[in-house]
Amino acid sequence: MVTITYPNVLLDALEIGVMIIDETFEVRYWNQWMEINTSVRSSDIIGKNLHAFYPDIDYKVLSRKIRTTLRLQSPTFYDASLQNRFIEIPRTKITTSLLKYMQLQVTISPYDVEENLVMVSIYDISDLHELKLTLQSQMEKISELNSELHRDKMIIDANLLIIKIDSECRIVEATQAFLEFFGYQSENVVGSKLAEVFGDASVDFDTVQICDAIASQKKWSGEVKARLHDEEQVWFDAVVTPFNEENDAFCYTVIFNDISDKKRIELLSITDPLTKLYNRHKFNEVFENMVQRRHWDENHTFGLIIADVDYFKRVNDTYGHQIGDKVLIEVAHAFSETIRIGDILARWGGEEFVCLLPAVDKAKALYVAEKLRLAVEQLDIQNVGKVTASFGVTIFTAGDTQESMMHRADSSLYRAKENGRNRIECL
Amino acid sequence: MHQNGFTDDHLDMLRELMNIAMGNATASIADLLEAFGKMHIPQIMISDMEGLDGYIQQSIPKDQRNYVTKQLFGGEFSGEFLFVISEESAIHLGHHLYDVDQPSDGDILDAVIELTNILSATMISRLTEELHTKVQFFVPSTEVVDGNALISQEDIINYHRIIIISTQMEFQHQNINGQIFILTKDGMIGSLKDLIDRKLEELYA
Repeated sequence: MVTITYPNVLLDALEIGVMIIDETFEVRYWNQWMEINTSVRSSDIIGKNLHAFYPDIDYKVLSRKIRTTLRLQSPTFYDASLQNRFIEIPRTKITTSLLKYMQLQVTISPYDVEENLVMVSIYDISDLHELKLTLQSQMEKISELNSELHRDKMIIDANLLIIKIDSECRIVEATQAFLEFFGYQSENVVGSKLAEVFGDASVDFDTVQICDAIASQKKWSGEVKARLHDEEQVWFDAVVTPFNEENDAFCYTVIFNDISDKKRIELLSITDPLTKLYNRHKFNEVFENMVQRRHWDENHTFGLIIADVDYFKRVNDTYGHQIGDKVLIEVAHAFSETIRIGDILARWGGEEFVCLLPAVDKAKALYVAEKLRLAVEQLDIQNVGKVTASFGVTIFTAGDTQESMMHRADSSLYRAKENGRNRIECL
Repeated sequence: MHQNGFTDDHLDMLRELMNIAMGNATASIADLLEAFGKMHIPQIMISDMEGLDGYIQQSIPKDQRNYVTKQLFGGEFSGEFLFVISEESAIHLGHHLYDVDQPSDGDILDAVIELTNILSATMISRLTEELHTKVQFFVPSTEVVDGNALISQEDIINYHRIIIISTQMEFQHQNINGQIFILTKDGMIGSLKDLIDRKLEELYA
């Protein structure tokens, strides 16, 4: 065992403050750390009362702690977690400014019980405390962010139609808004395949495009259509986004944005209000696109039909405009029921209708026109009876423009009228 | 025969030593804090973390806010001293020790630490003194906890054998109640058994 000959040297070398005081707070020892950090020299304070230098200490509490230490011969402590409850020591750290004074951990240990002396050890735990404060502040921020996240999640859940699906197109999660929109319960949806959920009789939803996007593991967006229980048709702008779960499993979110209103407005802008066929504006747009396509040749061409209801002015004059409109509606309906899928039918204006026939030759175009003529001829319209229509047909040839085709179809129609009406002519 | 070689004799001796230690603690508190109270007969059991959690949940109401002070002690017999006091009792304690109507948070925390100091120093010191061994106390820390979940879920699944010594402290006049847990685990249980063996030999030799 080594005898410590110079205990003062040892105490001065420690990176803690050490003072020895008695029960009346008279200072008996003041180490170098205390001198340096408090700017109070040991020669000035030793033999004096601590109260003269530090009047703000709660001496009643200190007295009790000293008494406990001496009686129990065991250390007592000041709480180090809140503000300093002992002496204030200014902090010299410049790079951080959270604490103006050192955060102290104060331990009062028995020194000489018979002489009623205790040793007060002061540890500077400012760095630790700063870290704690920073951590607390970060935790508060995280808590705030979590609250915001939760709030956002609630808003999303209540307002946005979103589902999460796995790579097998099985629904993993669905927002409340989604469930309410389609009238489903969570338990009937989660765990089921998308096609199964929308394949039931209640909702007619074409899920093929979404499942195709998932099969190709790519981001996809597009329009999808659904028919709800009440037969209402709705349109969605759907966005499929793949993402990796924490467990590296591949999942997808599908966000449905209801664009039905936009679609309805869009439809209104291209629809003839009376006959519900495409209007002239939409027809011209499609017509222009078809003319500009480069791959038409003699074997792959398209046709144009112009139809005009015969003696329509007479109908209007005899039965009035309301009946005239009814005739136009019936004729438009007959045309709609007769044309092929992919043909573009529109009301050109007045009692004139136009129809674009993709991928037809002259014979096929004449065949379609004949079917249209017969469809009108077979109508038996209330108050009016039988009506007929005349047809001008033409086929796209190299160098044709919209105007040239319209001109030929018009001339054909004129010829059909000249030649007795209720017939077809082709130029 | 209990696990870790602890027999009923060991537990009886430990209970007897705790009674002495608690008497010592009550006297010290009366002397130092001028509060006269009593401590209930200590419960001593060997359990695991899950058992400890269950016991704490059973002993402390879940709907109260608590000041929880933890203090480690080291030596041949080492472990953790846990003192749980309800917020209401802690305020009464702060009021009693600081002699103010509305003690500040700092006053309350310091008062709780002060009481813990006395409790741990008297009970553990007396216990280790009886067992002829030395003990060192480390700086206590106090936190305010809502409810009685004093052990985290991660810790509950840890496998430790633990000796739980618990008692309830009551100072009716000051309206202060607290729950004391002295916990020691694994290797220290064997160490405690050896110390008690020596004590038994000393008494019955």
